[in-house]
Amino acid sequence: MKRRDFLKGCMACGTAATLVVSNQAWGIGTFEGYPEVMGVLVDLTRCVGCRTCEAACNREQKLPAPDEPFDDKSVFKEKRRPTEKAYTVVNRYDTNSPKGPVYRKIQCNHCNEPACLSSCFVNAYTKTSEGAVIYNSKVCVGCRNCLIACPFNVPGYSYSSAFNPVVKKCIFCYDTRLKYGKPPACVEVCPQEVLTFGHRNDLLRIGRERIKEKPERYVDHIFGEKEVGGTSWLYLAGVDFDKVGFDTTMSNDPILSNVKDFLGIVPMVLTIWPALFTGFHLLATKNKDHADHDNGHSGQEVGKP
Amino acid sequence: MKRYKDEGVRVVDSHYKVPGRVKWALMDKLLLGLSPKQYIIQAVRNPYNWVLAAIFAVGLPIIAMRFILGLGSVTHSSCDYPWGLILDFGLFSMVPLSSSGFQLGTTVEIFGRHDFEPIERLALLNGLLGYFFAVVYLLVDLGQPWRLPYPMVVAYGPVAVLFLVGWHVATYLSVQVCEVSVAFFEWIGFPLGKQGVRKITLGLTVAGIILSTLHQGALGALYNYAPGKVHPLWYSSAFQWLHFFVSSIPGGLCMVIVVSTIARKTMAWRCDDRFLDNLDNLTISLAKGASMGLITYLVIKLMGIAHDNKWEYLATGYGTWYLLEMGVGVLLPLILFAHGIRNKMVGLVRFSAFLTVFGVVLNRLNTGFITFNWKMAEREVPTWQEFMMAITLFCVYIAVWRFILYRLPILFTWKSADAYATASETSAGIKHGKNPEPVLAGEKW
Amino acid sequence: MKGTGNWFLWGGAMIALFAAPVGSWAKVTPDTLELNALIDLYEKVNFNHTRHIELLKDCGECHHHTTGTLAQNPHCMKCHKNSGATENVACRYCHLGQPFSAVALRQKDRSAYHNDIMGLKGAYHQACSGCHQKMGGPTGCQDCHVRSKRGEAFYSTSSFAHSQAKGEKKLQN
Repeated sequence: MKRRDFLKGCMACGTAATLVVSNQAWGIGTFEGYPEVMGVLVDLTRCVGCRTCEAACNREQKLPAPDEPFDDKSVFKEKRRPTEKAYTVVNRYDTNSPKGPVYRKIQCNHCNEPACLSSCFVNAYTKTSEGAVIYNSKVCVGCRNCLIACPFNVPGYSYSSAFNPVVKKCIFCYDTRLKYGKPPACVEVCPQEVLTFGHRNDLLRIGRERIKEKPERYVDHIFGEKEVGGTSWLYLAGVDFDKVGFDTTMSNDPILSNVKDFLGIVPMVLTIWPALFTGFHLLATKNKDHADHDNGHSGQEVGKP
Repeated sequence: MKRYKDEGVRVVDSHYKVPGRVKWALMDKLLLGLSPKQYIIQAVRNPYNWVLAAIFAVGLPIIAMRFILGLGSVTHSSCDYPWGLILDFGLFSMVPLSSSGFQLGTTVEIFGRHDFEPIERLALLNGLLGYFFAVVYLLVDLGQPWRLPYPMVVAYGPVAVLFLVGWHVATYLSVQVCEVSVAFFEWIGFPLGKQGVRKITLGLTVAGIILSTLHQGALGALYNYAPGKVHPLWYSSAFQWLHFFVSSIPGGLCMVIVVSTIARKTMAWRCDDRFLDNLDNLTISLAKGASMGLITYLVIKLMGIAHDNKWEYLATGYGTWYLLEMGVGVLLPLILFAHGIRNKMVGLVRFSAFLTVFGVVLNRLNTGFITFNWKMAEREVPTWQEFMMAITLFCVYIAVWRFILYRLPILFTWKSADAYATASETSAGIKHGKNPEPVLAGEKW
Repeated sequence: MKGTGNWFLWGGAMIALFAAPVGSWAKVTPDTLELNALIDLYEKVNFNHTRHIELLKDCGECHHHTTGTLAQNPHCMKCHKNSGATENVACRYCHLGQPFSAVALRQKDRSAYHNDIMGLKGAYHQACSGCHQKMGGPTGCQDCHVRSKRGEAFYSTSSFAHSQAKGEKKLQN
């Protein structure tokens, strides 16, 4: 009888184990990024806070009309973040530097190993070969794990919609421009050419050249080169990055690597636990009659051989 | 109900209203053996129902509003705090408290400790209802809840920890439904079903342990996606999943103590002697298990701080809050448990169990909400509607608990014809003046 | 033969007259330039070239070395110490109107030094606004180019402002 139970137990566990898709950690090894992705170099020393990029994004992505006009500078009083109505915003930072206030454009950084993509259980995000991190609203369930995961606090969610709330974020103008090799709307419209569009590798080279040529103008760091695994949108600044709202405590490991250890344990538990606990069972119940436990429930002696 | 029982109404605890002859109808079983009029009277007389009614009157329309007008109408629609009170309380807090299912199942079936049987079904039901309502809370919180099956059938993102959580919770709910179905089949009179489930109980239990370990841990691993956002004292880069899994052990056991205490207090009429007589001893035994879980949890939390060298954070304001949570939720219960177990003071043990449950809930709220985005200047307080929705859903949970406990053989033993023949001489049924009929041969249950 | 002698004289004079201006056509300095690349959003800019020549005197302030003035920036001098005038001096010959088009990116020579040349719009703004700020020239967007109706719609401003009431409040403030 016990052997039969044991075999039945194993079969049930095995079935249970196969029913649950086991998560395997992806291949270990450092990932250097896709070689031919595009990117944008954002030179904060050139930005004057005209917000034309916000207006261009609004038009290109058919976003609703903003509460304040795009030439209204009073919005700088508060620090804003991207929302369902504004995929990109510009913030002003008064750094008491002789160079004046620093303006920073915030949008999705289109990471090489996006946290949003890693955290999505319906695979709604895709990193395209051009470098854009795009989103499929048709499968999104609305768990908002991507909002939790994004280290830059970028994705917005359309809470205002009752029947089709979805994630709203910068998509690098993929559908209308990047797919065809054209630069995104914000890049094209910027009067100060704060945004330089090109291949990510070229942009890194350009960034380093700019720093080399004018070391008094730039801080010697390209933000996004290595942070959280590297991003497609890179930043140059004339003041320390943490003074203009960047999180300089970020690790160079992509966010995914924080959960890889746990994901690696999953198949271990799935494999070890059945044998372990069935073993416990056999050890603990040797010589004990299984039939005993039916007594308490039905108040009846079940006579079993 | 107590009044009715004293007046002589026979409670439904077997298939037969009159032994051997008249069976309870399903309607009788649902109405607790009362006439519809009696049932309504007892419902209206019950003061707990007044409280429930008041809460539902306010809360249910708010929940309706959430579905008709969208999440933005009842929450802050925050992109910085995407997971609010509904999820942190309803899912993250209730799931560890519902781990009693796999724990008692393992105790009885795997380790063969059948002395825990009187409380096993209560623990299994606690597990089932907790997980079920965690899913209900989730459905209220999800942006597009009708798409919940998507990660199972439409689009797969296996790299995501949430994928694991979704699959596991779905599978584990099935396991728990099977385990509780034994009581249901007894009640409904379907012996084949009961026997079928009993045959695969061992497999179900082992599956339950596997799934529980992983998804209790996975809920912790979810916070590994946001290492900078959770406060360092509540975040452990290496052990987050272990912290959540280990804290679920005392959480589940103490929740059983809490529920059994409340059941004993409020529905003693429904509990049979086997339950009531053994409850004190079982409470002490559960408390022993919970203590071991608590001390383990305390140590691994300290190890977590040591591992990342975060001792200096203890000196901050958040540090004080952390020490308070550990003190009231872990250390104090440990001390009270030790004293209570040693001196067999069941009352103290029960109080300590309540503290432990509070501690687990506080830990989840702290990790997911109160200390979340600790680097941001502004803290966000949930809207009153969120509070109301959380309370309302919890009251629905309580109402369902009560509904099932009143009817299914969880707190009492379902009597077979034989047992009824001997017991009826001492039960209140004798007041009806009916003599027990001889048992018909072959009518074994 | 008086007639043929006159023919030669007049013919030679005509040729001489034609020949003289050819050399200077390439060097005609425009008086005003109409800049209308942003016609989508802004009215065209009538750039007073002559006035800027009077104010700056040194062509190299805007045209680098292409008009014949010697390079003075140490970075530039590394290669252009002896560079003189070039055939084309208009800004748009080096600063592309569409610097990030697929064509432009494809043609970019990664080994070339000038692989970070600003586009035309950026070059205008970077070159002009720095000087304007120092010397008290126009610095606001509309000081140089007035917004068209489409521009107002683009910026969601004036008559296109989302909330007229809000707009009026701001004016009062």
